Amino acid sequence: MKANGIGGAAPAAWLAIAGLVLVVAVPFIAVVLQGIFPHLGQGSFAGPFSSLLATLADSALIGMAGNTLLLGGCVVLASAVVAVPLGVFRALYRIPYAPFWDVVLLVPFMIPPYIATLGWIMTLQPRGYLQQLVGFNLAPFLFSLFGMTLVMAFNTFPVVYFAVSRTVEAVGSRYADVGRVFGATPARAFWRITLPLSAPGLAASLMLVFAAAIEEYGTPAALGRRAGFQVLVTGIDLRITDWPIDLPGAAILSLLLVGMSLVTFLLQRWILSRRSYQTVGGKPTAKDKRPLGALKVPVMIAFSVVAFLATGVPLLAILATALSRTISGGLALGNLSLNNFIAVFSNSAGALGALVNSFSLGIATALITGLVGVTAAYTVVKTRMRGRTTIDVMTILPNALPGIVVAVGLILAWNMPWLPATPYNTAFILLLAYCCILLPQPVRYTTAAFQQIGDNLEAAARVFGASSLTAFRRILLPLVFPSLASAMLLVFALASRELVASVVVAPVGMQTIATFIWRQFEQGSIGLGMAMAFIAIVMTTLLPLLLLTLLRRSGLVAE
Amino acid sequence: MLKSLKSITFGIVAAALMAGVAHADVTVYTAGPQSLIDKLSAGFTKQTGIKVNVFQATTGKVMARIEAEAANPVVDVLVSASWDTATDFAKRGWLVKYSSPNAAKVPDFLKTEGAVAQGISALGIAWNTKSGTLKPTEWADLTKKEYKDLVNIPDPAQSGSSFELTAALAGQDSFKLFNDLKANGAIVAGANADALNPVLQGAKAAVFGAVDYITLAAKAKGESIDVIFPASGTVIAPRPAMILNWSKNQDDAKKFIDYMLSDEGQKAVADEMLMPARTDIPANRPLIGDLKLLKYDTAAVYGKRKETLAEITKIYGGK
Repeated sequence: MKANGIGGAAPAAWLAIAGLVLVVAVPFIAVVLQGIFPHLGQGSFAGPFSSLLATLADSALIGMAGNTLLLGGCVVLASAVVAVPLGVFRALYRIPYAPFWDVVLLVPFMIPPYIATLGWIMTLQPRGYLQQLVGFNLAPFLFSLFGMTLVMAFNTFPVVYFAVSRTVEAVGSRYADVGRVFGATPARAFWRITLPLSAPGLAASLMLVFAAAIEEYGTPAALGRRAGFQVLVTGIDLRITDWPIDLPGAAILSLLLVGMSLVTFLLQRWILSRRSYQTVGGKPTAKDKRPLGALKVPVMIAFSVVAFLATGVPLLAILATALSRTISGGLALGNLSLNNFIAVFSNSAGALGALVNSFSLGIATALITGLVGVTAAYTVVKTRMRGRTTIDVMTILPNALPGIVVAVGLILAWNMPWLPATPYNTAFILLLAYCCILLPQPVRYTTAAFQQIGDNLEAAARVFGASSLTAFRRILLPLVFPSLASAMLLVFALASRELVASVVVAPVGMQTIATFIWRQFEQGSIGLGMAMAFIAIVMTTLLPLLLLTLLRRSGLVAE
Repeated sequence: MLKSLKSITFGIVAAALMAGVAHADVTVYTAGPQSLIDKLSAGFTKQTGIKVNVFQATTGKVMARIEAEAANPVVDVLVSASWDTATDFAKRGWLVKYSSPNAAKVPDFLKTEGAVAQGISALGIAWNTKSGTLKPTEWADLTKKEYKDLVNIPDPAQSGSSFELTAALAGQDSFKLFNDLKANGAIVAGANADALNPVLQGAKAAVFGAVDYITLAAKAKGESIDVIFPASGTVIAPRPAMILNWSKNQDDAKKFIDYMLSDEGQKAVADEMLMPARTDIPANRPLIGDLKLLKYDTAAVYGKRKETLAEITKIYGGK
């Protein structure tokens, strides 16, 4: 009983620790060692710290680090501005066609950022789709910090939207109503009661957005370089792929990124630790929402505009490119062709195999990260185990590790000659990479959910004789399941499109959706790549929806 | 439910494992194009019964993988897009000395003790024929007013051949051409494919120093694009194929090199719009003999790589 507060949490904790060590600690330690020992790749520990100074003395470093923070901050701000109002309205009011808006605002998740960026470029650049349709282009806006922020925010704001709408919904209007009874105006009740109580979800999602923004490679590489805007990730990528390769330098810069993400994480923890956010106390809550009334038209316009910009524009650009016989042919009826889609379905260049590989890996990643994530979150929030902060920190580490660095760490760790068996050069190495990169998602979502559940619920179950396992399975798990399920769906979508790590670490002869698309782009077959992207987006959107509907029917998830 | 989840996970894991254990006899790491290595490995397996396992990425990412694997390398044959790789690996003593019987018709400057060219690409001006600009014939044409803001330059830091062109041309007039291009609104725009894409759509009119085979393949697909090789000279990028000395399958690896240089293998190279390494294989495109090559000292150029890239960054970096 010393180890934990309420009861035998040991199995959950051990499962979490084992999973975290395998998935996070192994590659992370490899990266740290690589930063310290430059010749680790050759299996030598010579010259420790010799590249530390050279890397940190690089005069471009301060600029890159500053740009990284600036971009991360701008994206967080823009995502919040777009997502928080929509999420609050979605949670507290009866929005017409609410499920439809949820699906439409889910799609940006499913669009790989590098594809969305390319879609925006092909739409806004001179003679792009916009100019072909209406006669002007917006290239100067796109290739700037402003453009980068907007493209990235449209890609990440769903994280905030769904987190806010779920947590505000969980808080419900009950607490605000109490405030109203005591004379608060509606605005005051919202600002002083509902919003603060929703802080765990909001803060967690904003932190995820920040980490995703400072770790994102595709958009800054495509848009930023032209604006002379270098960030740490583009610097890391250059060190890894530019001969002679500087793995130690890349490792050191990555640790800097991890440091940034860790600071925001600790900041978030500190803010949340100052008070309790428990709102799910087992008392029945009325889930009736208010009618929009006079706000109906402006709110509908807001939903439509955001949906069009975040989902409509990139999807239309992708579709237009995929349906074009040639890119130079432009938007003309005579240039319309299904050739690219036919090529994908006739398995040209291994397209179908890539789809199967990615979706299998996506499902496996979602299951593993879900299991490790929920046990880790439970251990951190609901037990008093010593060292639980270490577990929490470990779950956040991969958040800021660029994919390419995770890949290098995995190769370094798993390709050591003395290992009797290794996942390297099998599909398992991709599974490990995806689990590492995506583990923070389920952990953050379920942590926020656990923080809102009162301790008395589990205690009550234990008083009535339930074992700790039963209490976890019958009480806590169902309560966090909506958050866990959405996090796992998100993991599925992100895993099935992960690019940067896949390109480096994929076993010989194996393609995934992202590496397929990337190879087509490299060879100038943009149309074929876009056709594959479109099919992948449709499938990653529909598969989870189907799954959710099935789960709802079976009564596992409440509406 | 947990049980069925378990069995699903197990099934997926087992399937993934099965996909991974298919062990190959020859492991080839190659810089694109994927369709070429697909054809070569299929033809090789058909002829010899030896299986080929392929890892394909850009030269940079292939090198990153080899560097990270250095403690326990698995690659037998490496095909890079930059001759610099062969020089560097030879210096490190990583290459197996091998002279393929099929390499007899490969010109001497395209083979060394440890490396032989698979094929050759050249750099040229990729020009959108519907851009409404006059067809350029010289590098310097792109500094003219009608190309104002319409020229993309592939990033020399990300592409070996682009770097050699930059260094060779900058060496002739100490960066005057690049300053003029900048003054005319040219930009450095990512790796080769990133630079070409806007030209296909028409946002830009020309790529200064585009890899020819990608552009020629796009042209064959019906894109309104053409490649011009300036008469003042350009650079070529031979693609070295090498056998690594840690390979445990050196005999099979040598057979792969032989096949790559056979009539059939070289025809596959020509079909990708690359110049075949062997001079006796016909190709539907300009060959080395048709091009004027810039003269420069490769060793000296690579010796000053850092300075050259820094100068380009100074001219084009930042606003």
